[in-house]
Amino acid sequence: MMRKKTCVAMLLAGGQGSRLGILTKNVAKPAVPYGGKYRIIDFPLSNCTNSGIDTVGVLTQYQPLELNAYIGSGAPWDLDLSNGGVFVLPPYQKGKVGEWYRGTANAIYQNMAFIEQYNPDYVLILSGDHIYKMDYNAMLRFHIRHGADATIAVREVPWEEASRFGIMNTDAEDNIIEFEEKPKNPKSNKASMGVYIFTWEKLRKYLIEDEENKASANDFGKNIIPAMLADKQVMCAYMFEGYWKDVGTIESLWEANMDLLKTPMDIDLHDKKWRIFARNPGYAPHYIAKGATVDDSLITEGCEVYGHVNHSVLSAGVVVEEGAVVQDAMIMPGAHIKRGAVVRRAIIAEGAVIGAGSIVGEETGNIAVVGQGVVLPAGAMVTAGQQVDASTKVEVPAAKA
Amino acid sequence: MKDVMGVIFTGESDARLRELTMTRAIAALPVAGRYRVIDFLVSSMVNGGIRNVGIIMQKNYHSLMDHLGSGKEWDLHGKNEGLRVLPPFLTRENVGVYTGMLEALRSNTNYLTRSKQEYLVLSNSDIIYNCNMDELVRCHIDSGADITLMYTRNPDMKRDEYGTYIAVDECGKVTEMEVEPTHPNLDLTFMDVMILKRETLRSLVDKAVAHGLHTMNRDVLMPMIQQGKANVNAYEYKGLCWRVDSVQSFFKFNMDILDTDIRHQLFSADLPVYTKVRDEMPASYGEDVTVINSLVADGCVIQGTVENSVLFRGVRVAPDAHVKNCVIMQDGQVHSGAYVENCILDKQAVIKRNARLIGPNAYPIVIAKNVVI
Repeated sequence: MMRKKTCVAMLLAGGQGSRLGILTKNVAKPAVPYGGKYRIIDFPLSNCTNSGIDTVGVLTQYQPLELNAYIGSGAPWDLDLSNGGVFVLPPYQKGKVGEWYRGTANAIYQNMAFIEQYNPDYVLILSGDHIYKMDYNAMLRFHIRHGADATIAVREVPWEEASRFGIMNTDAEDNIIEFEEKPKNPKSNKASMGVYIFTWEKLRKYLIEDEENKASANDFGKNIIPAMLADKQVMCAYMFEGYWKDVGTIESLWEANMDLLKTPMDIDLHDKKWRIFARNPGYAPHYIAKGATVDDSLITEGCEVYGHVNHSVLSAGVVVEEGAVVQDAMIMPGAHIKRGAVVRRAIIAEGAVIGAGSIVGEETGNIAVVGQGVVLPAGAMVTAGQQVDASTKVEVPAAKA
Repeated sequence: MKDVMGVIFTGESDARLRELTMTRAIAALPVAGRYRVIDFLVSSMVNGGIRNVGIIMQKNYHSLMDHLGSGKEWDLHGKNEGLRVLPPFLTRENVGVYTGMLEALRSNTNYLTRSKQEYLVLSNSDIIYNCNMDELVRCHIDSGADITLMYTRNPDMKRDEYGTYIAVDECGKVTEMEVEPTHPNLDLTFMDVMILKRETLRSLVDKAVAHGLHTMNRDVLMPMIQQGKANVNAYEYKGLCWRVDSVQSFFKFNMDILDTDIRHQLFSADLPVYTKVRDEMPASYGEDVTVINSLVADGCVIQGTVENSVLFRGVRVAPDAHVKNCVIMQDGQVHSGAYVENCILDKQAVIKRNARLIGPNAYPIVIAKNVVI
């Protein structure tokens, strides 16, 4: 018998993240590296720990191997507990039925038994798509204070972008009166962050009803929230101010990394009171050799820099050989940039090797991507916006004299 | 399961490390940007399959206990066995600090008796090596010796009157031992690492203490070798090792690992060195910075010039600050316009605006913990 928890978090980590192209070919989106030593999922998990929420279910179904190994026992986030902790929840067989998660709401529906073990009053629904620091406990207090059935975290977006988001129209008391998905003529600029708190009893009822409705897409945004609004449930908008970045596309992932190079940073990762925890690969400090130049960059333990790094983020264990140039780039763990190669406006995925003298990306244009474990031959050429995985034929211009 | 346990003794003399060991044991001395000396020893044991490690504490052990915690970082947070810190406990018989390793082991007889492993590796803690203990264990078991001593030919490990030296015959048997000679005649340096049966150690310690003896090398090992009563063998450790017993040797170790070959040997992928994690963000570099031949840990913010230096986690070097040939421990700060050369800054030391601090080449200046200059 588990002890009762006030609030249990459910982290939706099953999406493929297809807009990240070859970066999510072998890994689930929440396991995609970010900021030199993090993976996207470190942010919601660390937020949970820092907010005092110690029971987290992580719903996985797409390419879960790396994500499962990363989460492990949950020790890096202090979530290896005997009473609570982090649990990876893949879809499973139930009696004669076995099925994939059909939608965000269905994923929670299929794990109602997990939630009920803790007999919680509230359930926090999170996704593994965003970079942000947020005190979920403050949001929970807001939810309780307002006697809400559901609270949706929102943030103000520029009006001209509002039509790209799920927009909450609220009254003066923060009550949501209308929800519009990507409205052509937005009436508000409060965009949903995909962070919800539900009073569990209510959510449970709506999940069961939603499951019975065969026409439903079993989605929180499309079905559950409109249904609750239609029934005049107490729905509140919780205003979040601070850095929040969707990293769902190649461009936005790259931008989010470049955001860390601004002074002061948009998101303070030095904050000792709100650490972002991550699994540590245990490398020695990084080494900057004589003759190397580094500026305006983030460099992680285990790196060795002999070449030139400018305005870039280097993850753990990256090697930049002599004469190589890395500029405006995000280099994921263990990648190796060989002698004389030039990498510009690019994302180089884990363990990729950029052959000597190769040219990846261009000074302008879209972000070039070299996929996980790809070995580019010497002198290869990857143009702006090109994505190279193991099966891509890479152009090698005639050998230079 | 490996039938071997480990015991690390952390009570060596630390007078020559001056301010650096004012409030910490040598084992807890920060080295190489993010480690403590003991990380190398415990990691060597863990990488060699040892799952039960006792650490004998002597004095100033607060920071060591804080660092080791439950032993989780070394995967030693076992249920029945794992990492055990063994601080001196005051009893009717033992009213203060230990007089030496023998007494310390004697006080921990219970721990030795209760452990289940047949063999025991005993190591001092003023030394840095990263070895696969498995080889030492196999060498010992295969040779059938009573005790096997680990030694090195590395001349830098010699310390004359502070060291122990041995001679070894062609079969690997130890034929002679010199303890703390003013002018050593023997070439091989005993690393103060040895393996023997747990029961053998227990009875040796018991007998020695009963006879009022204090030191392991002089009072126990040397007579055994001289009298030929026991079969004492030697195992040559061919890897890199350093003794950290003075300000200079501490400084030299940190400078040595700026050499890429040395660093790659010490931190090889098959023998990872584990340490306590601080969850710092990666180091950030500002515009127009100059960094030459330096090791920089996570959490640093570099905006000035850094040359031939080792910077620990969370060090800040302001714009126009210049750091040369320095070791700067955790959260040290060098403010704008300051120039620091040949210095060791202990944790949280701060060098204020425009200060100039230049130590002589061979003898770095030590700035103690929390000092503001």
